[in-house]
Amino acid sequence: MKFNLKKQFSTLALVTGFAATASMSIAGECRVADASMDKPGGFPDRALTMIVPYGPGGGSGQIAAAMAEAVTELTGVGINRDHKPGGSGTVGMTAYMAAPTDGYNVLEHIDDASSAHALDSSRPNPAEDLIPLVISQVTFSQIYIRSNETRYTDWPSFVEWVQAQNGKATIANVSKEGSMERVIMKFITEASDMKIQQISFDKGAPRYGALLGGQVDALFEQPGDVRKFLDAGNFKPILTVFNERPGVFSNVPTHREMGMDFEPLLRFRGFYVHKDAPSDRVDWLKWAFQRAYCEDSYQTFNESKFMNVIDSYRDTAGAIDMINAAIIQYRDVYKEMGLDVK
Amino acid sequence: MIENFLAGTATLFGDPFTIGIFVFGVLGGMLFGAIPGVSMLTLAAILLPFTADLSPAQGVMLFAVIYCTGTYGGAITAILFNIPGAPENAPTAFDGYPMTQKGMAGKAVGAAVLCSAIGGVASALVMMSATEPLAKWAIMNIGPPEIFALVFFGLAVASSVGGRTIWKGWLSVLLGLLIATIGQDPVGGINRFNFGYSDLAAGIAFVPAILGFFAVSEIFIQAEKNVSGKYTAPKFNVDFPSFFELWAHKIAVVRSIFVGFFCGILPGIGATLAAFMGYGEAVRWSKDKSEFGTGKLEGVISSETANNAATGAAMIPLLALGLPGGALTAMMVAVFQMHDLEPGPLVFYNSPDLIWVVFAAMFYANLSILFVGLIETKTILYLLKIPFQFLAPMILMLASIGAYISRGLVLDVVVMFLAGIIGFLLRRSGYSIPGIVLGLILGKIGEQNFAQGMQMVHYDLGTYFSRPICTILIIAGVLTLLKSLHSAFYQKPKVQ
Repeated sequence: MKFNLKKQFSTLALVTGFAATASMSIAGECRVADASMDKPGGFPDRALTMIVPYGPGGGSGQIAAAMAEAVTELTGVGINRDHKPGGSGTVGMTAYMAAPTDGYNVLEHIDDASSAHALDSSRPNPAEDLIPLVISQVTFSQIYIRSNETRYTDWPSFVEWVQAQNGKATIANVSKEGSMERVIMKFITEASDMKIQQISFDKGAPRYGALLGGQVDALFEQPGDVRKFLDAGNFKPILTVFNERPGVFSNVPTHREMGMDFEPLLRFRGFYVHKDAPSDRVDWLKWAFQRAYCEDSYQTFNESKFMNVIDSYRDTAGAIDMINAAIIQYRDVYKEMGLDVK
Repeated sequence: MIENFLAGTATLFGDPFTIGIFVFGVLGGMLFGAIPGVSMLTLAAILLPFTADLSPAQGVMLFAVIYCTGTYGGAITAILFNIPGAPENAPTAFDGYPMTQKGMAGKAVGAAVLCSAIGGVASALVMMSATEPLAKWAIMNIGPPEIFALVFFGLAVASSVGGRTIWKGWLSVLLGLLIATIGQDPVGGINRFNFGYSDLAAGIAFVPAILGFFAVSEIFIQAEKNVSGKYTAPKFNVDFPSFFELWAHKIAVVRSIFVGFFCGILPGIGATLAAFMGYGEAVRWSKDKSEFGTGKLEGVISSETANNAATGAAMIPLLALGLPGGALTAMMVAVFQMHDLEPGPLVFYNSPDLIWVVFAAMFYANLSILFVGLIETKTILYLLKIPFQFLAPMILMLASIGAYISRGLVLDVVVMFLAGIIGFLLRRSGYSIPGIVLGLILGKIGEQNFAQGMQMVHYDLGTYFSRPICTILIIAGVLTLLKSLHSAFYQKPKVQ
């Protein structure tokens, strides 16, 4: 089954395009003017709890720690992180939805929450059942090969080599059903007319080790997660799944340049509060998390993760637009893929 | 190497504050490692933000020390109360707790202390001498098919432990494997057996299952004996194993060092598989396999040597390649990053001082297990003097807290008590609790790697046999299975 990608995304481009083509010049820029805000009715008078639906060592664990530190630096309010990993974020989301809605509980989550809702509408909608406080990391994906690889050295030679393997080539990613990775790989393989076996690794270390050790032929990942391998010269990107070349990857072609006409899905991580939380408390939380994005410690963290390469910031309205667009996009793609969209 | 090691030692002990951090890590790791469910990971997570105020060497060193001593810490409660502090201490309970019941707690704990230190020190020495080449060898030669083959071999070897018959041992393992399939499948993310209950999407967590099968079922069994007047308190004994007793197990120690090191060096695997494999190998090489699970010193020695041997090995892929082997080493990556460093090949060139402080700290932390552990043990053994009617509620309370605190889910407490009831009934019928836990833990690792391996070989199982290490392990596993089957047909049931 071939995707009619142009048709599929023509109506979405206006909505989602902003995400992919947002101005790179303002990445990292602080967009909250108020350096302080009065606490509404003394809230919060104790530490907040941040539920993190993934383990402490991964991407979510690290952004949760960095944001918690920045909010505490800014406001003096402590944040206890409560990691509830499992089920691709399901366990943490369920626990959060059952937690008191007094504003003292906030949630970290990634785009998986949006794709989960797109597949099954009984799952919480991050744009309606939750209020996004801020999305503080937005990034694109790339395809990497070993730097010392000789069988192929760039995207065209890679495609040619993969086609010659007749489905025997392999790529490491997180290819759980409906995941962003699987959807983008579907786009790429359809558009490039190649078959490649996706090997699903749920943890980063075995995934990167598989490419380093030659167990797989390529890797699908976001640049911040493999920065140390890029800096060490172990990996090199051969394709950027983004509408334009980000400055630091100016020598890497984009999927559009390589003839693939689809709107890129982005990985985004952000912070949320329950929709039933008192509005004045929500306002304060919005200010605290959006302003904390501007803190030096958080900006340094984002920079270390290549999260300053494109605009990583969305305030509440921007986040809602982004989530809604992602849900529509995922839902259409799932239907095209024949998945059981509920 | 010696020059670098001495320089690292001088840095470690040349500053009172750094010494203080080292001592804190040693004691904190032991304490948190001994508390079920809390574990060294909790301590590490609490400390993570504070490492920003330390120097990079102090921060990474602190986590490395906690890793070494925390891996040992859970052995004490496993031996004394059948409560493994962490999954990697579960095999220690297989024989350690029966030894306590036989009045040999001192010997078991003494062996655990000594062998944890030996395993850890040996591992640290190998780590110091050959980090880069070993990491590269492992990454080039070991992939998901090899890890699956290793798990298959481990299951085949250790499956007969603890059951009244080999058949019951195998049924226990199969039950564990079945439980391991609850939750999302490891590669496709498809929900299985969660009955629409989202908390089960992550499957049955190791900690509550282990607490239930070991600690809670044991409480029920002892309570039953108490009610029927058959209860006898464990004999209090602080006699440590003699030099000759330990010397008699020198081959088991060396074997477990190799096994533990090999498992530890594999990214994403770590000490849990090491402990089970170390124990399994002890069973395989034993002349009388039926003694395992009944209080055999070699069981404790093998498990504790192997899990600490994995600690140094787990640092190898982390430091040389930037690939963490488990949750705690993943947090170490965060410590590096807080100081604008990245573990990986460049760290040896950019920060050699840091690396050698960490190496030296791990070496001395493992030595500390010996000295601090012996002192600690002499005191903690007195807990056995507490009467059962007071000890049992304390253990149940501790286990409940441990089950809840690891994920903060009531479900885990329910799972713990269900596992306790099931474990109680199965033990009365001669089924093997170690077998169930073995199946549960190795099942998850094995299934994930089997599925990944099948994707890599394009669903052609025969391709597994084009990989030498994989072939050897699978053949060894099949031969072990056949031998087990042969024994099963000619075995007389154990009298209990």
